[in-house]
Amino acid sequence: MVAWRLIGLEQNSAFMNMGIDEAIIEGVKAGSSKPTIRFYKWNPSAVSIGRFQSMRDEVNIDVCKSLGVDYVRRITGGGAVYHDSEGELTYSLIAPESLFPRDIKESYAVICGWIINGLESIGIDAQFSPINDISVNGKKISGNAQTRREGVLLQHGTILYKLDIAKMFSVLNVSKEKISDKMIKNAEERVTSVHSKSGSSFEELYRAVMNGITANKECEVGFLSGSELNAAIYLSKTYSSDAWNFSR
Amino acid sequence: MYGAAKLKVPGGKLVSVKLTFDKSIEKIQILGDFFINPEEALVEIEKSISGASISEGKEGIATRVARAAHLNHAEFIGVTPDSIAEAIFLAIGNGG
Repeated sequence: MVAWRLIGLEQNSAFMNMGIDEAIIEGVKAGSSKPTIRFYKWNPSAVSIGRFQSMRDEVNIDVCKSLGVDYVRRITGGGAVYHDSEGELTYSLIAPESLFPRDIKESYAVICGWIINGLESIGIDAQFSPINDISVNGKKISGNAQTRREGVLLQHGTILYKLDIAKMFSVLNVSKEKISDKMIKNAEERVTSVHSKSGSSFEELYRAVMNGITANKECEVGFLSGSELNAAIYLSKTYSSDAWNFSR
Repeated sequence: MYGAAKLKVPGGKLVSVKLTFDKSIEKIQILGDFFINPEEALVEIEKSISGASISEGKEGIATRVARAAHLNHAEFIGVTPDSIAEAIFLAIGNGG
């Protein structure tokens, strides 16, 4: 059985979170890091955009600066996400891609299935919504993004715990005219959260998702190695650079 | 001339194109919330379109995209060569 490392819930800046993911990818690629599942929050709150999005098109930089919200480009595709420091749980799974279906869409279904199992244990009946979402009664509760690099799979994703739609719209680049009650209502019809669907605490959500993802795996609680941490700190500088974040 | 357009791919993601063009496509940027694996391939796909004559039409541009993707072992998720070509010609149509 494959031995996995589990890194428990921590909070980091957006740049460090992205640096840690990439540092672990490099470690798994080199064979020096075990396949890893990690859980984290974003502190300060941040917006992440997909690899192929334009930062200026997607993010209201001025509002982010005034609210102290960071912004970062991910290495994965997908859309812009507002990561509230208290409003969501994020996970990353980094492992040899040989452990997963070769077909990327199929592997989304496998990993999202583990999260769905976790949500079920706290009374939330969620479904996989291809390509890369998890939803409850048609409303998105989790977004996920995957990449593969030289034989290593990274999937990271968020599970919404509590929504702050007004703040989300203020940092995402939607024209002021569009931030109307109607639009907020429309978003509420498309997105949901664990808090609105169950009485679970954040801690209960975290335990449930952790149990869902780690079920039937040999997992050992661990930490970043010194070399991973050094690499993550180094990489975080790239992730905080305008050259990377405004490259599109 | 400069043109831009957004296209929601049926059953897929959003693809957005910004370009400058005359009789041929000069500079082009393909943006959106789609996935391409490996991600680095998108730059090669953009390069393969730069300089292409508009007279090649959607089919010709889609062929260029598909060929560049193949050469770079790239896999599209949520977007296709045809939808990229479609967005490009929408951007050209919006150009001025």
